[in-house]
Amino acid sequence: MIDFLKANQPVFDFFLLTLGFAYSQQIVLRCGVFSLASAAFAALGAYCCAILVVNLGLPPLMAIPLGAVLGGAAGYLVSVPLARLRGVYQAIATLALVEVVVAITLYAEPLTGGAVGFNNIPKHVGTVEIALAVAVVIYLLHALSISRIGRGFDALRQDEYVAASLGVSSRGQHTLAFIVSGLIGGLFGGLQSMYAYSVEPHQYGFSFMVTTLAAIILGGRRSLLGPVIGSAVVILLPEISRPLAEYRMVVVGVVMVLVVLYTPQGLGDTFLSWLSHRRASKQAPPPAKPLAADARTTKSKGDTYGRA
Amino acid sequence: MLAQQILNGLISGAIYALFALGFNLIFGVQKVLNLAHGAIFMSGAFIAYYAVEGGLPFWLALLIAMVVCGIASVLIDRFGFQKLRKYSQMDAEFGALVISIGIGQILTSMAQKLSQTKVLSFPFDTFPVEFFRGLGMRISLLQITIAAMVVVLVVFLALFLQRTTFGRQVRAVAINPRASALLGINARSVFMLTFFIAGAMAALAGVMIGLSFNSIQFMMGEPYMLKAFVVVVLGGLGNLGGAVAASLLLGVGQALCAAYLPPGLSDILIFTTLFVVLIFKPNGLFGGALAPAGVGRQ
Amino acid sequence: MVALELQDVRRHFGGVKAVDGVSFQVPAGKVTGLIGPNGSGKSTLVNLIAGVLGLTSGEVRLHGEAISTETADAVARRGVARTFQNIRLLPEASVLDNVMIGFYRLERSSLLASLLGLPSSRRETRELRERGRALLARFDMSAYEHVPAGGLAYGFQRRVEMMRAVASNPAVLLLDEPVAGMNDVEASALGGIFARLAEDGMAVLVIEHNTRFVAELCEEVHVLDSGRLIANDTPQEVMRDPAVVAAYLGT
Repeated sequence: MIDFLKANQPVFDFFLLTLGFAYSQQIVLRCGVFSLASAAFAALGAYCCAILVVNLGLPPLMAIPLGAVLGGAAGYLVSVPLARLRGVYQAIATLALVEVVVAITLYAEPLTGGAVGFNNIPKHVGTVEIALAVAVVIYLLHALSISRIGRGFDALRQDEYVAASLGVSSRGQHTLAFIVSGLIGGLFGGLQSMYAYSVEPHQYGFSFMVTTLAAIILGGRRSLLGPVIGSAVVILLPEISRPLAEYRMVVVGVVMVLVVLYTPQGLGDTFLSWLSHRRASKQAPPPAKPLAADARTTKSKGDTYGRA
Repeated sequence: MLAQQILNGLISGAIYALFALGFNLIFGVQKVLNLAHGAIFMSGAFIAYYAVEGGLPFWLALLIAMVVCGIASVLIDRFGFQKLRKYSQMDAEFGALVISIGIGQILTSMAQKLSQTKVLSFPFDTFPVEFFRGLGMRISLLQITIAAMVVVLVVFLALFLQRTTFGRQVRAVAINPRASALLGINARSVFMLTFFIAGAMAALAGVMIGLSFNSIQFMMGEPYMLKAFVVVVLGGLGNLGGAVAASLLLGVGQALCAAYLPPGLSDILIFTTLFVVLIFKPNGLFGGALAPAGVGRQ
Repeated sequence: MVALELQDVRRHFGGVKAVDGVSFQVPAGKVTGLIGPNGSGKSTLVNLIAGVLGLTSGEVRLHGEAISTETADAVARRGVARTFQNIRLLPEASVLDNVMIGFYRLERSSLLASLLGLPSSRRETRELRERGRALLARFDMSAYEHVPAGGLAYGFQRRVEMMRAVASNPAVLLLDEPVAGMNDVEASALGGIFARLAEDGMAVLVIEHNTRFVAELCEEVHVLDSGRLIANDTPQEVMRDPAVVAAYLGT
């Protein structure tokens, strides 16, 4: 049993890292922003960390948070121009951003090692640290979800105009989502560079975007369970179908198509809404009553009309 | 020298146009980003390669590749995107994206297996190698053929969309699918046709690239997908004329960068340009579908 | 007390003058009606007040302060609530969640408290949930607490929208065709609610097609036609006004 876990530890580690990146991707989608920029945040975090630790001798405990902060700052900067775009246009703009970052890491050879990548990074991070980071991120995102910010995000995602009519500022909330996405992306990028011995430019390119996006869509855009399931599918599926040897990626593709066709909201979200449907139908509503004519809304303590 | 660069750039721009036009057509009509388009492009090259290897004349191989890829494209729509229509708009959008990713993955993996990850190239005598000189420039027969094909196709496509009844239907569905349905336009056949055309053009582009660079490999579609995004945005999403213009601009721009700037800088410039254009002119340089704005006072 | 005031509000779309110099007041504590034939500019006017559309010229004032250039979310935060002509609920969210989002502008939890899940944030969420449940009870919707709003019958969806709009006790309530598609009994009950809200001090503006409903409910009615006010008076006087009759018959 221990041997089995030991043998599969790298896969599990990769699953945890992918999960972290998936959360970075999800938080923006959650609030209705179609951003694929997580790859760029991850790249910034990874290279920043590698450069700080290897070239400048900083301890990893300092470098990793700095990588996260760099990601967060990038998130803020990106949110400004992206405020005027929506939907597919946001997606393409962030895709352009990711490619710019890839191109820069390829080009700035003296700093980043260019196409060969940044190699020989000492391994400072293992399963425990990554798992800890994931746990912290899950806690923070959960707290966010049940707070007013989470409610604002959900409203923005479903209907931006309605959300505005209730006082939700899309500009402010989108910026927040970008910053959080950047922080998480930078964090896990940094962790990955401290874990995997090397970083190379194409690691955070088109494939990364596709993988994290697929994880979210397969697992679910709304719930925190979604990315867990989605990342598991995306990472574990190729492993499980290894016996199918060269056809394993074909199987992955087929599974992706089937999952989307039958559970378009994602496996996690579909499961959770099935649970809540069961709960709702258990309280079968009584036949419709006409609206009582003197149903009032009385002022609650502390409210005033007008400016609250 | 400069003129030669521009000429080469125009030719590669023409190929970008072939690829991007199909992609743009699908987006304009179906509002779907078909990420499998790059895999179709690659599949076209593969099919033509194996056909030629099997002894078929080049033109026949090309035709087969185009038809097969056209049909494959239609099937992807029929069994993938169409099935999503019954879901909410957002679910359908994201779902379509993932389905196209999945299908692209399937095709790429099969190609990888088939080619055993080797780089393939067409036999040397597949296409006559001849050069013409004039005005201080040199152009190959292949380049002339590519240019001619693209010009013919673009003209055909333009005439088709502007002058024929079916073409008008395509445009109607692109603007407003629901209203078109009410007018009795069969959206299904419109979708089928647009996907077929897109698939066939991508296959043609793939074969031409395979010939031009003498290499065919399972990942060859990816860089083209990225360029397609650039073209489609610069030209305006849904604006076919703009896509052609933007493709040529991109081709020339890239050729000039490659010639006069240190390597690696051209990608940075291209994508930064894309980003900047999106911020200030999301409708593209030539005006295209209106980009939805935020909730500021309209 | 005047809650909302429009002064010479104009909105042009190119050559089309959708709203062409409209001025009126919406006092607190009363239900005011705005009627007019199709295409008269009612919806444009609502969107101008609510912050969705920009004014070509003129002013919109809330409690004396100009809000003409503020974005929709800023206007909402000042205490202007609105309903939509086509019901726009959050389809995926439950009835309770839809109502709870109505409390958004009242919420006080800081960013840090929300992110870290501090007790103050959790407590506020709990309190709001209770208030939401109380609101559901008053509107006879308690049984539907967990039902996804998208699956409700039309009449119930209207109730949810109403709850959401009044949840934060706004100063001004803009109702965009609130009783469209309802029978007389349902409309009358809803009208009763509007009357109670006004009694409690809210400034209620009802934009409606259903002139009988408006006549029964409103103390003052303004009539819009082709972007201009052609009458404003008590419902009885307005219904007798030949200009109003002509405007309606002419469409």
